[in-house]
Amino acid sequence: MLKLAWRNIWRNKGRSMITIAAVMFCVIFAVVLRSFQVGVWEHMVDDIVANNFGYLQVHQKGFWGEQSLDLSMDEGALPVAQWQEVDGVRSVVRRLESFSLVSTGQSNRGSLVLGIEPEFELPGLQLIDQIVSGSVFEPGSDQVVVSEGLADFLKVGVGDSLLFLSQGYRGASAYGQFMVSGIAKISNPELNKQLVLMPLQTAQWMYNGMGLLTTAVIDLEPGTDYKEVKEALQPMMGEDLELLEWEELFPELIQTIEADMAGGQIFITILYFIISFVLLGTVIMMVSEREREFGILVSIGMRKTKLAFVTVLENLMLTLGGAIVGMALVKPVQFYFKDNPIDLSGQMKEAIEQFDFEPKLYTTTSFIINLNHGAIVFFIGILVSSYAVWKIMKLEPVKSMRS
Amino acid sequence: MSTPVIEIKNLEKVYEGAVPVHAVNGINLTITEGEFTALKGPSGCGKTTLLNLLGGLDKPTSGSIEIGGVDITTLSENELIDFRLRNIGFVFQAYNLIPVLSAQENVSFIMLLQDRPKEEREARAQQLLEAVGLKGKEGQRPGQLSGGQQQRVAVARALASKPQFVLADEPTANLDSTSTANLLDIMEKLNKEEGMTFVFATHDDRVIKKARRIISIEDGKVLSDE
Repeated sequence: MLKLAWRNIWRNKGRSMITIAAVMFCVIFAVVLRSFQVGVWEHMVDDIVANNFGYLQVHQKGFWGEQSLDLSMDEGALPVAQWQEVDGVRSVVRRLESFSLVSTGQSNRGSLVLGIEPEFELPGLQLIDQIVSGSVFEPGSDQVVVSEGLADFLKVGVGDSLLFLSQGYRGASAYGQFMVSGIAKISNPELNKQLVLMPLQTAQWMYNGMGLLTTAVIDLEPGTDYKEVKEALQPMMGEDLELLEWEELFPELIQTIEADMAGGQIFITILYFIISFVLLGTVIMMVSEREREFGILVSIGMRKTKLAFVTVLENLMLTLGGAIVGMALVKPVQFYFKDNPIDLSGQMKEAIEQFDFEPKLYTTTSFIINLNHGAIVFFIGILVSSYAVWKIMKLEPVKSMRS
Repeated sequence: MSTPVIEIKNLEKVYEGAVPVHAVNGINLTITEGEFTALKGPSGCGKTTLLNLLGGLDKPTSGSIEIGGVDITTLSENELIDFRLRNIGFVFQAYNLIPVLSAQENVSFIMLLQDRPKEEREARAQQLLEAVGLKGKEGQRPGQLSGGQQQRVAVARALASKPQFVLADEPTANLDSTSTANLLDIMEKLNKEEGMTFVFATHDDRVIKKARRIISIEDGKVLSDE
């Protein structure tokens, strides 16, 4: 039966090649489109989550929702050593984060202030690679590092002073004047517009929160499943602490990803509709051309189910052939653009930056995307084959042989 | 007395329409083992319809067809397909071979449907192709064979399943005189040597001359049976 199906495919070489090519291009186009979409998000999530915020964060219960310093944690009371014993936990990063009005006297902007210890930070905030001018502040110094976008807005440079005005722990006034020791380019455009980094102790002092932390980031070993770590850590949180994973920290990011994915899905669905009709056309032609032969085969004793099986097999060979070639050909493209993202420029760059997205198009190399689209085409192949099955099952040998 | 292979009783086939057409109109016939029978008559007389009914390809309006004691008019669609596979060989006017299979594969195919072992399929296909004078042409596809050769492959295919009888619908209609003579000689030889029962629907005098029993049909009725 396999041999019969295979030979039937090559009966009309031209048509079979066109069908295979149509499926192949459909898979290539769908996979490329999806790879860019997923790749951009993957990169962004990796940047925001892995480099800056971490996959897991511990706060005083309610802090993340209210963003109030009054919901800070006493760092001496945290069982950090116990957390670090959990498999997959590399370190616990201490932070104090709040907001402040930052002013030069000429202009001002509401900013996110992060009190950190760069040497223990996640890669995106270690500041060695991010500093574009000046240097990293000394621990405990009255110096800050300003993100490039904020520095441009405030028109400040290294050596300038910034005034901070905010509300500290338990309603205390929080203010200070700090010198800009360096300007850092933060890869996330949203953070790059509003972030000020200062030594942890300086932030604790300014916010009247000595010994307090708002955030403990659980830094994970590479390749660790954060959900497993969360499960292991959860019993250690007690009643006062909350352990949040990144999806809970950034629900709006998840929603944006889902909305964008849904938009892309519409394009891909249209594409699949087109390819479904191409395949259906092939099946209709094939059934029409071979109706007489089908009648003969049933006449000489071939069960309709067997005949239907052969035609489904033919169709699946065509669609799978196209899908496999497409999946293979698109792989190098995925790898290339993963390491060499398309750098957007001009109006498109500005438009994308308005949405706080990095104006670079990365791809993902995840083979799951290729497999998914291969599977969709396979399913379409089965679906359109049902036309042939339906025609065969209602075939009348005498009428078919007269056709 | 020979064993009856086919027994037809009060067979009728009416095609409904604005004016109903009685393609087969109350035929009673018995065909016994080893016959070489021709159903003759003008075009539209009902011989092909009768052949289709005998082959279980079409359902009669009324009456019965018993083949080897089984009334095929009562069988379900799948039972009929299986019955045809094991009991009836077909030779069609237009050869109707599978174009993507070689001569040998066309003959073997029917045995594949019968789930016979590969060795048996290959041996019998070769034997049958040799019997119809196509030794050396086993690997050729229908498109590479002449009309006469294709029809001989069709005869070999019809015999491959070891049927009770072979139904041949205008088997020589597309053949030249030499090919017709060859084909008829082969079928006559198979009939005489192997006792295979052949029933032809034809209006070809060359076939009718070879037949040992000639049934004339007109307006769906048996006009004469000689």
